[in-house]
Amino acid sequence: MNAVCRMPALLLAAWIAATPAVLAQDSERNRYYVQQMIEMAATDNEQGVVGMQRMLEQNPRPAAPDPAAARAAFQRGLTLFGQEGLDAALAAFQQASRDDPGNADAVNYAGLIYRKMGRFPEAETALQQALALEPSRAVAWFQLAQVYGLENDADRALGALANTYRFAQNQMRAEEILRNIAENEAADILRNAALKTLRLFHLPAEAVIVPPLPTNPGGIVPMNSAPNPIHTP
Amino acid sequence: MNFPSFTRSLALALALALALALAGALPAVAGQYETIDYYVQQMIALASAADEAGVLTFREQMENLPRPEPGDARQAHPFNQHGQERLAGGQLKEALAAFRQAFIADPTDPEIAGALGLTYLRSRRFKEAERLLVYALSLAPARSASWLTLGQVYGQQGDARRATGAFANAHRFAQDRPQVAEQLRQLATADPADAIRIGALQALRAARPASAAPPAPSPVLPSQPAAPVRPGTGSTSLPAAPVAPERPTTATDNLLGSLKQSLATLAQPADPVTTGSAAPGTADNGNPGQRIYRRSLPLTCLIVTFQDGKTANLGSGLLVSRDGLVITNNHVIDKAENLAVRCGDRESVARVRKRSREPDLASLATSLKSVDSFVLNQTYNQDLIGLDVFVIGNPYGLEGTFSTGVISGLREIDGVRYIQISAPISPGNSGGPVILRDGSVIGVATMGLKVGQNLNFAIAAAEVISSPIFEAKQMQIRRTGTP
Repeated sequence: MNAVCRMPALLLAAWIAATPAVLAQDSERNRYYVQQMIEMAATDNEQGVVGMQRMLEQNPRPAAPDPAAARAAFQRGLTLFGQEGLDAALAAFQQASRDDPGNADAVNYAGLIYRKMGRFPEAETALQQALALEPSRAVAWFQLAQVYGLENDADRALGALANTYRFAQNQMRAEEILRNIAENEAADILRNAALKTLRLFHLPAEAVIVPPLPTNPGGIVPMNSAPNPIHTP
Repeated sequence: MNFPSFTRSLALALALALALALAGALPAVAGQYETIDYYVQQMIALASAADEAGVLTFREQMENLPRPEPGDARQAHPFNQHGQERLAGGQLKEALAAFRQAFIADPTDPEIAGALGLTYLRSRRFKEAERLLVYALSLAPARSASWLTLGQVYGQQGDARRATGAFANAHRFAQDRPQVAEQLRQLATADPADAIRIGALQALRAARPASAAPPAPSPVLPSQPAAPVRPGTGSTSLPAAPVAPERPTTATDNLLGSLKQSLATLAQPADPVTTGSAAPGTADNGNPGQRIYRRSLPLTCLIVTFQDGKTANLGSGLLVSRDGLVITNNHVIDKAENLAVRCGDRESVARVRKRSREPDLASLATSLKSVDSFVLNQTYNQDLIGLDVFVIGNPYGLEGTFSTGVISGLREIDGVRYIQISAPISPGNSGGPVILRDGSVIGVATMGLKVGQNLNFAIAAAEVISSPIFEAKQMQIRRTGTP
């Protein structure tokens, strides 16, 4: 074989040998972008978040080796998930993801199941994968925030919650969900993260722990309204 | 990982972000509420100006805004029902929880959003109420009930102009105008908030030709302050505190007189002399509480604030320097026009020297020179947990109330270090000292959890020392390691 013919073969061999590394590098790079989105969201760096979002959105959608099988596996996963068969549902979603690596729903569900199983590192990886495929997916951000909350990672819980709000389709609903967490969540990290997220976006929030109101000695009342002056409309 | 290529990718990302920013292509995040609020405010302003055509134009525009994704009405229904029952029973907390769940399940039902807004209003959470009601109006711009509630939200915040516009729209869009006119008349005559009465009255006057309703009441009545709490007559179990006589106008020169009047109405602290106690500094006879109480009482201060010529609030403080510096919580003296302080049996007017919102601290300058003062204990580590603590303060005006407990935990909330204590504290304790057995101050009593029992929090003395109000030359520190 002459040198001209050998060159393409060598390049092909080199590409095949390097493919796992390239994929790993892509994965690592996507993870970096997702983490950057979290960090920037936590500091209210909107432009930075959008920049990283655009980088992720520029990724080409991975080819689906078997889209029909992926759809079937995903439906099977949903059914099993509804029946609380978490292990079997996880296997189905993983199969769906293998058959269609661009299926963000499948990896998102896998992340949700990992979280329910308490397998937080795997949950984080799966949810980051879902976000790499669809960085404006508010529900994945919300689940990732819960994972970080359970892992006592306050900063990243804040960033993920901030992105939950940022990308929510209905921000008023997201605001009320955050307020609910900020006032009722038992886990300190997540509760405080929700409170900080509300404050980050200058939304009204009431901390669960509040200073006791100084009393009015002798009943001298500075306010000019009764406690419940409202007439039901 | 290939770092050079990775760095290039990063640079590319940043360049892209910059280009997007320069091109103005960034989406307006959080723009949903601002958009609908703009339309609602326009409808209010135009209603105030009796511009009916303008109101209807903006109503139409708002109705043409994109609708949010539909929710799950079936899931929301039972929560909504439960919320209505709780709200009717005055159980605001339960109503809030139920309406919230209903709203999260179906955020497209204007009745649910309006009910949540109304519950926030009754809970006196006006900002949340305003947001929910504006949102409810984006779903149904002609829903009279939402306008009526929104008018009350603005009125509660003293904004008579916007209350007027919202009330006018409540009347304009009412299906039963006489009924809404009657509701407005009730608000105009009986509501304690000035801006609500004014707004309702003006809306009625503007609506009179159209509704042919009975004449609007006139003039607007002056506001009547709520009846003072009398000993044994209140619904709470507050300590007996006789009704204070009319206060003199609060000028600095008669402030002390006013303070004395105020203090005279409050319950007196236990007197060590009449209880046969030994003088301060004597041995504790196995009871460190007595020793700590006797030594700390003269250094613990009652703080009285004055506003609009009347006594407004009271709280506690601690004397921390020989030249009369007193530390308290910022929320105790917030909005005070004048301040007076009594530490032990000595009184002084005070002025705010430094204050900080986070952490919630303030230092006051007084004329109370003292040979003794509290020492701040800088310790903040796990070894503190389980140590006995002693709290002195003025809960509900009960001067010099002493309570004990232990350090239950260390908490960092919003970047501020707190000491969780089991010693009871109540309103009026805020700003008072939390003391260790050695007499040093380990925290400043600040807040308590609404739920649970004896879950109270003091800003750690270590936090005081690192805060802007600390003054190294005047205040004494006990160094870390000697709790």
